[in-house]
Amino acid sequence: MKMEAEKRFDTVDMMLNMGPQHPSTHGVFRMVLTIDGEKIVAVEPHIGYLHRGTEKLCEGEYYLQIVSLFDRLDYISSFNNELAFVIAVEKLMGIQVPERAEYIRVIMCELNRIASHLMFYAAFGADAGAITPFLYAFREREQIQSVFEAVSGARMMHNYFRVGGVIEDLPPDFGDRMNKLIPKLKQGIQECDDLLTGNEIFIARAKGVGAISAADAIDFGMSGPNLRACGVLEDIRRSEPYSVYPTLDFDIPAGQNGDCWDRYMVRMEEMRQSLRIVEQAIAEMPQGPVIAPQVRKIVKVPKGEVYVRVENPRGDFGVYLISQGGDKPYRVKIRGASFCNLMTLKKLLQQCYVADCVVVLGSLDIVLGEVDR
Amino acid sequence: MIGLLKGLNTTLKTLFRRPVTVQYPDEHLPLAPRYKGFPALLWDDNVQEPYCVGCQVCARYCPTECITVTMKDNTKFKDGTSTRKKIVDFFQIDMAKCIVCAICVEVCNFDAIVMSDAHEESVFSRGEMVADLNRLLEMGRGQEKKLRKS
Amino acid sequence: MTGELLLSALGVVGMLLFLTVTTFALVWIERKFLGHIQMRLGPMRTGYHGIMQPVADALKLLFKEDFIPGSSDRLIFWLAPLAVFVPAFLIWVSIPFTKELVIRNLDMGIFYIVAVSVVSIIGLVMAGWGSANKYALLGGARAAAQLISYELPLIMVILSVVMLSQSLDLKTIVEKQAVIPYVLLQPLGFLIFLFASLAEVGRTPFDIPQAESEVVGGPFVEYSGIRWSIFFLAEYVNTFAVGVLGALLFLGGWNWPLLPPIIWILVKSYFLVLVIFWMRATFPRLRIDQLMSLAWKVLLPLAFLNILIVGAHQFYRWPAWSLSLISLVVVLAVGYRLRWRRIAGTSRLGLSLATERRLANDRTP
Repeated sequence: MKMEAEKRFDTVDMMLNMGPQHPSTHGVFRMVLTIDGEKIVAVEPHIGYLHRGTEKLCEGEYYLQIVSLFDRLDYISSFNNELAFVIAVEKLMGIQVPERAEYIRVIMCELNRIASHLMFYAAFGADAGAITPFLYAFREREQIQSVFEAVSGARMMHNYFRVGGVIEDLPPDFGDRMNKLIPKLKQGIQECDDLLTGNEIFIARAKGVGAISAADAIDFGMSGPNLRACGVLEDIRRSEPYSVYPTLDFDIPAGQNGDCWDRYMVRMEEMRQSLRIVEQAIAEMPQGPVIAPQVRKIVKVPKGEVYVRVENPRGDFGVYLISQGGDKPYRVKIRGASFCNLMTLKKLLQQCYVADCVVVLGSLDIVLGEVDR
Repeated sequence: MIGLLKGLNTTLKTLFRRPVTVQYPDEHLPLAPRYKGFPALLWDDNVQEPYCVGCQVCARYCPTECITVTMKDNTKFKDGTSTRKKIVDFFQIDMAKCIVCAICVEVCNFDAIVMSDAHEESVFSRGEMVADLNRLLEMGRGQEKKLRKS
Repeated sequence: MTGELLLSALGVVGMLLFLTVTTFALVWIERKFLGHIQMRLGPMRTGYHGIMQPVADALKLLFKEDFIPGSSDRLIFWLAPLAVFVPAFLIWVSIPFTKELVIRNLDMGIFYIVAVSVVSIIGLVMAGWGSANKYALLGGARAAAQLISYELPLIMVILSVVMLSQSLDLKTIVEKQAVIPYVLLQPLGFLIFLFASLAEVGRTPFDIPQAESEVVGGPFVEYSGIRWSIFFLAEYVNTFAVGVLGALLFLGGWNWPLLPPIIWILVKSYFLVLVIFWMRATFPRLRIDQLMSLAWKVLLPLAFLNILIVGAHQFYRWPAWSLSLISLVVVLAVGYRLRWRRIAGTSRLGLSLATERRLANDRTP
């Protein structure tokens, strides 16, 4: 039994509500932390602040319209989302996409991956307390965004991919532009690397923080760079190839410890690999039509169901599409990579400090639009 | 310690580089030729009427249902000056709802609607975001080059 | 007596004005400097290259609503800015800019400065407690822990300077550096001073109490308008104090030829302040436990070692260059050790590139 005096000095855990207005919860995410001083005892993630009912909305929209809804799921990597949906519809309809369209799609998706990882770099640096990485990464990302603007007419919500191809061919100056852009991007990424990667303070903040084992990561359904950071060489571009990825040569980086540092390094390396893919794709891109001739404006899909997954910058992005025939889908189920990655948060934040909390969340690189859908 | 110094060196190098930003309201970055601003209607200069016949296909395919269109008989068709039997009577786009997806442009059978360059459209009340036929035609002036070939 | 009092009062008013102008200058310099490092322009609207931006900011802060959270401890909330502000200004009473330009030079000037500057910790803790906000509380607790820890290496390193100059009087300390500034004699001491005082004023990489990505401003999270601007003012005044103290203790103060003394001291202080801003632009933030271990396991032992070196140097009357040499060797050794432990020790990068699919099952033996 405790003495009266002892009882007076018993500490109580504090409940700390982080988000949805907290600056480093990456959108409207809320977690309720129970902390003992600076140590995290328990964490309870709350999601749903950005729920827009996309899956239900899809049931009432034409296939043409749904592409524009998919843009808004993971708004940092819109092209990859569009790709998942159009591939699903194409599979149901049995359309052969023209080669040039496939290459255009791959170029756009990989550029999008770089932009997305740069965004990760920016936010991760800011989470760790450095202010300049954000601006460096945005400087590079801006160049990619302006290419997107030139190609699709929009910087974020592109609505560029169509069932059977893409809506229009690349602009005539695209090749020249990319020839100039790629060396610039390489240099920019190198500069980002110089600024943050070797920094001892940054290494101290990221290394060994928020580690997860490969087995646990697979059990949680983690995917993408986060899973590869644990040492699992799982990349859908390789394991279940789609589009023209089988013809392209690229490496899959993987980490060892599955901590924030590995997640960071995997993404930094992936940007370089994506640049390699873009270079190859531009070199190998054939001439020709960019949309399959049998595709009408109003897409009618035969009865059937299909599950398609693509490698989103955040991981395994899946679309389960059921069609009862007609011009609207019966059901669209979306498997968001961010959602599954986010669910590991409880595991990752065991025995962490409050300051680690934002770093771990940043290293998962979630986009709330995809988590809540 | 090396990493710290390397970082300091990187920031020092960028300190003397030219800034990449522009002073926004004074200076605008050029828009891409394909830039998708808010949708606008085109004016047929040959017969002095809009291209739009009010067929409502854009209104049907708009994901956010921000377009309202009605059609009427075209008086110029009776004179023989125009080949359009019907013509748009009332056209309204709620710019506050519009998500600039360009689906209306894609589905339009008469190439009557384009994505204009307009994107700095802030107003003081929500009502002002609703653009009527005249304003849409005004926005569409000089945007013919942007017609998407589909 | 009255005349002297009047002169002192005039000096204080002058100092207040000077510090306010300095704060404005520092804010502008910091924003422009950060802006250009990040390849943007920084403030450009107000005056030539935004030179009036700090004034505009100050006016805006002045006219903001004076908001006190409902459940706050009003008295403490109200007193906290003063408790930070007053010590920040008090130290300037005994900081000499040149031989003549000082309000009241004390024989134990450096002792006084160290003693007074510690008081501002109380203000931060009060702000954290009084705001009735959990983030503020965390920030306040962090501030207390950090500032007290870093007080020790700071004092120890100042002590070694005092040992070298055999005086607590800042004027004498500067005069002793007429030929060789102490930064050459003890680079180790200078680095410890720089890091410890960075932590003292809560600047990156030690801005843990304010850490906006974690505790969103820490003790100041509930403050706004004029109260917040007082904290802000104190922060910049303290930063400048670090610059001036660094210049006085290590860079030889006003003591270089060609230019008038007052220019030299300002040049040196602004140089140090720029270095602080430069670090802010480059470094991420340490975590609180790493900060603590840096203070107690690295800086404090090194500060003791520094005292030992200086003591031995003084006792055996070694030549000056031997002191610099020993100090430099220690700096390099520590730098190498840091590098070795952080990078080489735990393999820099566990990246494996592969072109085949491999699942976790294959990894298990």
